[in-house]
Amino acid sequence: MSCRKGGYFLPARLWYDPALLQAHSGEESIRGLPAVRRGLSRFRAVLVLGPLCCCIPVRAEDSLPAAHRGGTLHLAAVGSGGTLDPQINYTAEYINLFVTIYDGLTGFRKARGPAGDTVMPDLAEAIPAPQDGGRTYVFTLRDGIRFSDGRKVTVEDVAASFRRLFRVGSPTAGAFYGDIAGAKACLADPAHCTLAEGVSPDPVHRTVTFHLTAPDTEFMMKLAFTHASILPADTPDHDTGNNPVPGTGPYHIVSYNPEGGIVAERNPYFHVWNAEVQPPGYVDRIEYRFGLTDEAAVTAIENGQTDWIYDPIPLDRLGELGARFTSQTHIEPHLTIYFAPMNVHIPPFDSEKARQAVDYAINRHAMTILYGGPAIAQPLCSLVPPELTGRMAGCPYTKGADFAHPAPEWKAPDLERARELVRESGTAGQKVTLVVANRSVDRAMGNELRDTLDAIGYHADLKPLAPALMFDYIQNSNNHVQIAIKDWSSDFPSASNFLDGLFGCENFHPGSNSSVNISGFCDGEVQALIDRAKTDVTLTDAQRADLWAQVDALLARHAPGAPIIHKYDVTFVSKRLGNFFYTHNFGLFFSQVWVR
Amino acid sequence: MTRALLSRLGQMVLVLFGISVLIFAVFFATPGSDPSARIAGRGASQEVLARVRADYGFDRPLPVQYVRMMEKLFVTRDLTSFVDHGERVVPEVLEAAPVTLSLVLFASVFWLLLSLGIGIVSAMLRDTWADRALMGLSLLALSMPVFWLGEMVNLVTQSRWHDAWAFSWVPPLGYTPFARSPKGWALGLLLPAFTLAVAFIGLYARVLRAELLQAMGDDAIRTARAKGAGPARLWLWHGLRLSWLSYVSLFGLDFAQLVGGGALLVEVVFALPGVGHLTYQGLNTLDLPLIMATVMYAAVFVVLANAAIDGLYALLDPRIREARRGL
Repeated sequence: MSCRKGGYFLPARLWYDPALLQAHSGEESIRGLPAVRRGLSRFRAVLVLGPLCCCIPVRAEDSLPAAHRGGTLHLAAVGSGGTLDPQINYTAEYINLFVTIYDGLTGFRKARGPAGDTVMPDLAEAIPAPQDGGRTYVFTLRDGIRFSDGRKVTVEDVAASFRRLFRVGSPTAGAFYGDIAGAKACLADPAHCTLAEGVSPDPVHRTVTFHLTAPDTEFMMKLAFTHASILPADTPDHDTGNNPVPGTGPYHIVSYNPEGGIVAERNPYFHVWNAEVQPPGYVDRIEYRFGLTDEAAVTAIENGQTDWIYDPIPLDRLGELGARFTSQTHIEPHLTIYFAPMNVHIPPFDSEKARQAVDYAINRHAMTILYGGPAIAQPLCSLVPPELTGRMAGCPYTKGADFAHPAPEWKAPDLERARELVRESGTAGQKVTLVVANRSVDRAMGNELRDTLDAIGYHADLKPLAPALMFDYIQNSNNHVQIAIKDWSSDFPSASNFLDGLFGCENFHPGSNSSVNISGFCDGEVQALIDRAKTDVTLTDAQRADLWAQVDALLARHAPGAPIIHKYDVTFVSKRLGNFFYTHNFGLFFSQVWVR
Repeated sequence: MTRALLSRLGQMVLVLFGISVLIFAVFFATPGSDPSARIAGRGASQEVLARVRADYGFDRPLPVQYVRMMEKLFVTRDLTSFVDHGERVVPEVLEAAPVTLSLVLFASVFWLLLSLGIGIVSAMLRDTWADRALMGLSLLALSMPVFWLGEMVNLVTQSRWHDAWAFSWVPPLGYTPFARSPKGWALGLLLPAFTLAVAFIGLYARVLRAELLQAMGDDAIRTARAKGAGPARLWLWHGLRLSWLSYVSLFGLDFAQLVGGGALLVEVVFALPGVGHLTYQGLNTLDLPLIMATVMYAAVFVVLANAAIDGLYALLDPRIREARRGL
């Protein structure tokens, strides 16, 4: 049921949207205030008024409670996030903003917690059923969508957007969209890329057909990623840099200066197509400012001059926030792990026993403390964070446990067992260099692990590298990195981001700075399971999760990377910011918070 | 005159060449510094990586890359950042320069007035408790790291006592252009400029005191005293004229290096988008074009400032002027 008049379109569902209820009541539950009832009564009022209002011509944003609509949301970050090109930028800093500016054919549901991991139709009318064993998908584009410059979105724009991914050299062109028919040719010769056999638009029926060379069980999630945003067909085939590209979300960028900031205002052509994926925004304007240090930004939030900061809250301020600004501080699960990749091609970690020894020896409790304490980090036994399905049960690498008898959770390091494994591996006494990013937390964790390596029989050194360099350096096998400490976040909520991304054979490229399989691990048995989980569209979600759990368990046995901790995101917001709305995938969801 | 100008120009070209080669060499000699993978993005396919390398010319020999970069920096002026892909670094630096200039000009007012006052009073009251107290304070000012002082100023004015009447006038951190609001510009720069000036006040006061005391033993001063000049004229006219040189040359060099980006720490702590802040950002993200542009800008400024000081010397001291004329 929906009403349309004067060019404005509003699905009636918005008025009794469960996400809206969650938006109200969830805030209260997080803060622990006895105001759940207020949230519910707001919901009831909306529910009663809904059917009456739904036939009045309204702008998309008019559907939100008027008392909270309007104002300017002030965001801050230490530095800019680079290019504004939504198909190239790969920083969480901008991707979290781009989700309010761009849409794909599909999108993630904007809801708190695991509910936000669901993929739903966005610019497409529905999620199509797979055809041809998961190699063909036919999407129907919604009718009447317009870009922020007023032009109508057509199926040609959809096809051109996917072609552009290859023409501009999007970082995920190969990894996410490489199975589209014709993608290989496009990667090899982007200038002449047509992708004609892979993406076929049909303007008459408003359909776009995707042909894949192999089934991909995560294709819908990949289409929901920002790089698959639908852009105008005439968007230049090069990185647009500082120039914003029109989108279809509730906001559009009106100015950008990498030294100053971003200003986004309401998109005058925005319509709510699926309120659960792209709801209308509360604030009229978003000002994202760069240049404040993290310390200064926290102070600015305390003073009410800024509403939120992108960068992690400095550890020395956490006590102050916990004591004086409790209601403004939120701790949310974040799909990020810290792990220690070990190079399986060079000594001493070419020995499986040596790698297992490190897994037994890591003091995950100490690492948790060094990261900031158990409120914001927890010991990790699996390579998959606990918020996701597809992780092995139990903890094999802890005191008193092994693969046959895993403990329910991590208890303490087992140094004796670790020393024994090092002796058995014949690698005792070898020199080991541990590489970390030169940041205070990483250095502290590095010192702890270096001492641990010394304690189990190695002669370990710590090599801190500039954070801007460290990741490229540890990826390149020519640098002969033996072991490192690295954090890793998912692009979309799937165990594959951690298991296949970090340990899949296809992600190891010797001698390249772009080789995210840092360990260089490639095992036939593991890869066969990964391939099945990625391609078998006949599996149920539970069966697929079970396959990923098997991969996780096998990787634990081979130990190419030792999980250390998983972390939570500490978000500090200003006193005036209401309806705190945090999603797994995009952090604070800017369109759903209000400042009035 | 023309010869002197050409000589200066030659010196500048040599300095710029030396510095740029050094930066370039250090950057590419650093392990893992190849920017291709950072430009291409996390996990980019090998084809995309190869394309970035070709597009940016990283697959060419280093001397060719160097010449191309210098051409883009100085001739076509369209060198773009490796991080903010569409951002041209030359206009970026030129836009940041007024911020730094405002800060340093503001600071130099503080540091000249206060160091002159303290230096002269200290010299006149030599070996009294007041002299010792002023010199002790100067030493303290000189010893305080500027980033620490800045953070302390922020702690007091932005955090702990931000709402107290004494600091309620302090605006949020950042820069307001003079054209938009002269008052906002001045208020926003007051504390950063004073913070930047503190160490210089201490240093200059001590230098001036020492120079003044040394000058007071000069024959010219004895003659002036014998001619019946009063203490004020003796210290402020004759004494200062004899002590100017080292003070002025020190000021010229410090001013130039601060305008060239030496105020980096103050700009970062007070979130002022000046040249120093750009340099800091370039170093943080290892953005070679930005680092190159800011360092070249600083080098040009320091060389020009040196030339200006030499000219000023001649104005201040007739002996130098005459020596140049070969008299």
